Amino acid sequence: MRRRYLQALSVIILVAVVFLLLPRFYSNQSFLFNLMLYLGLAEGVNIIYGFTGYLPFGYVGFFGAGAYGSAIAITFWHISPFVCVILGGMAAVATGIVLIPLLRLSGAYFAIANLAASQALYLIVANPTMEKITQGPYGIDLSSVYNADAGYYTMLAVLVFAMVVVAYIRNSDFGLSLLAIKEDRVTASLAGVNVVRARSIAWMLSAFVAGLCGGAFGWFTAVFYPSTVFSLDVSVFTIVFALFGGVGTLAGPLLGALLLYSMYNFIGISTPQYFQLFYGFLIIGLVLFLPDGVASILQKGKVYVP
Amino acid sequence: MFRLKSKFIFLSIAVLVFTAVTSFAAKPPKVITIGTLYASSGSFATSSTSQYRGLKFWVSQVNKEGGVFVKAFNKKIPVKLVAYDDQGQTGTAGMLYNQLITRDRVNMLVADFGSVLTSVAVPLAKVHKVLLFDPTGTAAKFFTPDNQFVVLCSLPTSGQWPYALADFLIQKKIPRIAIIYSSNDFNQSQAVTLHDRLVKAGINPVYYQAVPTSTSNYSVLLHGIEATKPDAVIEFGFVPNDIAFLEGLQSSGLKFKMVFTIFPGQQLQLIQKNVGPKALYYTYTYPTPPLLKYNDVNFGPTLDSFEQAYKETGKKVDFLVVAGYNTGLIIEKTLDAAKSFDQLEFRKALAGFSGKVKTLDGEFKIDASGAQVGEMLPVAQFVPQGADGLDMHIVYPANLKTGNEIYPAP
Repeated sequence: MRRRYLQALSVIILVAVVFLLLPRFYSNQSFLFNLMLYLGLAEGVNIIYGFTGYLPFGYVGFFGAGAYGSAIAITFWHISPFVCVILGGMAAVATGIVLIPLLRLSGAYFAIANLAASQALYLIVANPTMEKITQGPYGIDLSSVYNADAGYYTMLAVLVFAMVVVAYIRNSDFGLSLLAIKEDRVTASLAGVNVVRARSIAWMLSAFVAGLCGGAFGWFTAVFYPSTVFSLDVSVFTIVFALFGGVGTLAGPLLGALLLYSMYNFIGISTPQYFQLFYGFLIIGLVLFLPDGVASILQKGKVYVP
Repeated sequence: MFRLKSKFIFLSIAVLVFTAVTSFAAKPPKVITIGTLYASSGSFATSSTSQYRGLKFWVSQVNKEGGVFVKAFNKKIPVKLVAYDDQGQTGTAGMLYNQLITRDRVNMLVADFGSVLTSVAVPLAKVHKVLLFDPTGTAAKFFTPDNQFVVLCSLPTSGQWPYALADFLIQKKIPRIAIIYSSNDFNQSQAVTLHDRLVKAGINPVYYQAVPTSTSNYSVLLHGIEATKPDAVIEFGFVPNDIAFLEGLQSSGLKFKMVFTIFPGQQLQLIQKNVGPKALYYTYTYPTPPLLKYNDVNFGPTLDSFEQAYKETGKKVDFLVVAGYNTGLIIEKTLDAAKSFDQLEFRKALAGFSGKVKTLDGEFKIDASGAQVGEMLPVAQFVPQGADGLDMHIVYPANLKTGNEIYPAP
C-alpha cells in the first residue's frame, strides 16, 4: 500500500513540477492554464464517475457555480481572490448538496437529470431578475483583480489538490467502498457500506473540485458570461478526456486530458478543417477498441496504473 | 585611473547598446502581421466567418497594391494575416489570442465576432499591452477609461443602438408598446435603454419580458403579447431568435401595427432564406451597410465600388463582411497616421483621426475609452416590391429618410 501511495505521490510531484517549470519555456500561459483546468476537471469527474459509476453530464453546473460563487465573493466582499476561489468551491458543494436527491436515480436517468439541473442553474444565473447578484446576462467583469500569474498558480494548486484526493480514494478503504457501490449498490450495502453517505461524500468532493476549477477559471479569464461557464462543451470535453485516459485511476484522466487537449489544440491550430473529422475517428476508435481507456492497455499487461 | 577607465568602458557599452537598440527599433518589419480568430462552427459561425471574410478581403486588396503604408517607416509593407479557428468556444479563443500575442507576436490584434468571443481578448490585450481592434464586440464593460488597449471599430456599444428607435416611437406617439428580449448582454442592454427612454417620455411599455436566448418557439409568447393589445412589438434577439420570432408571427396569424427586429437589417439574405420575404413585409429594423449607404466616404472605397470588387470572391456582401473590411481600413489609417511603430502610438493615432474619417461603414469616432460613438443606427422598414420582392425605406431620422413609414401595417 505504501508503495502505491509513493507511486501516486511521484505522479503528483511530476505533474506539479512540470507545470511549475513549463511557463519558463512556453509562453502561451492560457494553453497551459486550460490544460491544467481540464486535468483538474477530469480528475473531478473521475471521483464521481470513476469510483461510483454516476456519469454527471451536467458537471459543468458545478464549474459554473464555482465561477459565479467566486466572482460574487470578489465583487461583494472584496476579499483575496484566492480565498474567493475556495468559496467558489464551497458554492459548488452547496449546489451539490441541493442536488443530492439525484443520486437516487441511476444510469441514463441520472445523467439526464443532472444535465437538466445544470441548465436550470444556468438559466437562474443568467436571469435578468438576478442582475443585482449575478449581473444576469451582462456577465462578470473581474478586470480589477485580474492577475494571470496568480490565477495560473492557483489553478496548479487546485490540480494538485484534485490529484491528492483521487490518490487517496484510489488507495483507501473509502475508495474500495465506492468501487463496491459502482459494482452493485445493494450488495455493497449488505456488505456494510453506508451507500448514501459514501456516494454523497464522493459527489461533494467531485463538486468541490469543479467549483475550485470554476473559481480559478473566473479569476484567470476576468471577463466571462453565463454561457461561457455553463457551456455544455465543458462537460463533454471533461468526460471524453477522463474516459479516454481511463477512469478509476489517478494517471488515466491525466493521460487522457493531456493527450486529447494537446491534440485538440495542435490540430485546431495547424489544420482546423480536419479537426472534427480526426476527433470523431478518435472517439469511435476509443469506443470500439478501448472502452476502458488508454490506461487499460497497461492494466491488461498486468502493469499497475497509479 | 582605474575609476576613469571603468567609467569609459561603461560609457562605451552604453553608447553601443543605445545605438543597437535604436537601429533595431528603426528597422521596418518585412510584413505587418495581423492576428485574428474566426469561428467555423458553433452558434457564431455564420456571423464570424462573414466578418473574417471581410478582413481577409481587405488584406488581399492592400497586398495587391504592394502592402499598407506605414508612416513610421515611410514605406509600404505587405500584410500577413494569421488566423485561427476558435470553433466558437471562449476557452479555445482565450488560448488562441494568447498564441497570437505571445507565440506569433502579431503586430495588430483583431477580435473575433461579438462580445462573447471578444470578452477573453480584452484583459489579455491589456496585460500584454497590445491594441485590440474590436469589430463587433459591443459590450459596454469592455471600454473603461483605464484601458487604452481596445478600440471598437464598427458599431456603437449595444446600449446605444436603440436611440433612434426610441425617438421614432416617442415622436410617433405610439402609446402601447411591447418589448420582448433575449436575456443576454447584447439584447438586454438595448431593451433597458429603450424601456428607460420610453418611460422618461411618459410611455410605460405594456409588456416587458426577457426570454432565454435559446428560445426557439415564440408562439405562446406572441399570444401573451397579443393579450396586452400593443400598437408596436419590439423584439431584441440574435439571428436565431429573430428567425424564430418571425416564423412564430407568421404561423400564428397574429397581426400587429408595428413589428421591429434587429437582424433583418444586418443579415437580410439569411433571414429571408429562412422565413421568406412575406414574413418581413412592413417589419422595422436597424439598417446597416449594404442596406444603408453612406455617400460622404472620405477613406477607402464607397459601398458601390466595394460591392463591385467583392464580386471576385463569389460571395455576397452582408453587414459583417463590411464590418470586417472596415476594421482593415481602420488599421490601414492607423498605420498611415502613427508616428512610430508602437501600440500606444497606434492608440494615439486612432484618437487623432477620430471624428475625421468616414468609411463605407459610416463615421469612425471613438470616445476616451475606445468605444465607438460615431456610427448610429437609424430605423428602416421593409415594404413589398412586386410579387415576391422586398424594398427597404429608412424612415428615421429625417436627415437619412428615404421614404415614409407605413403605419399601421396593412
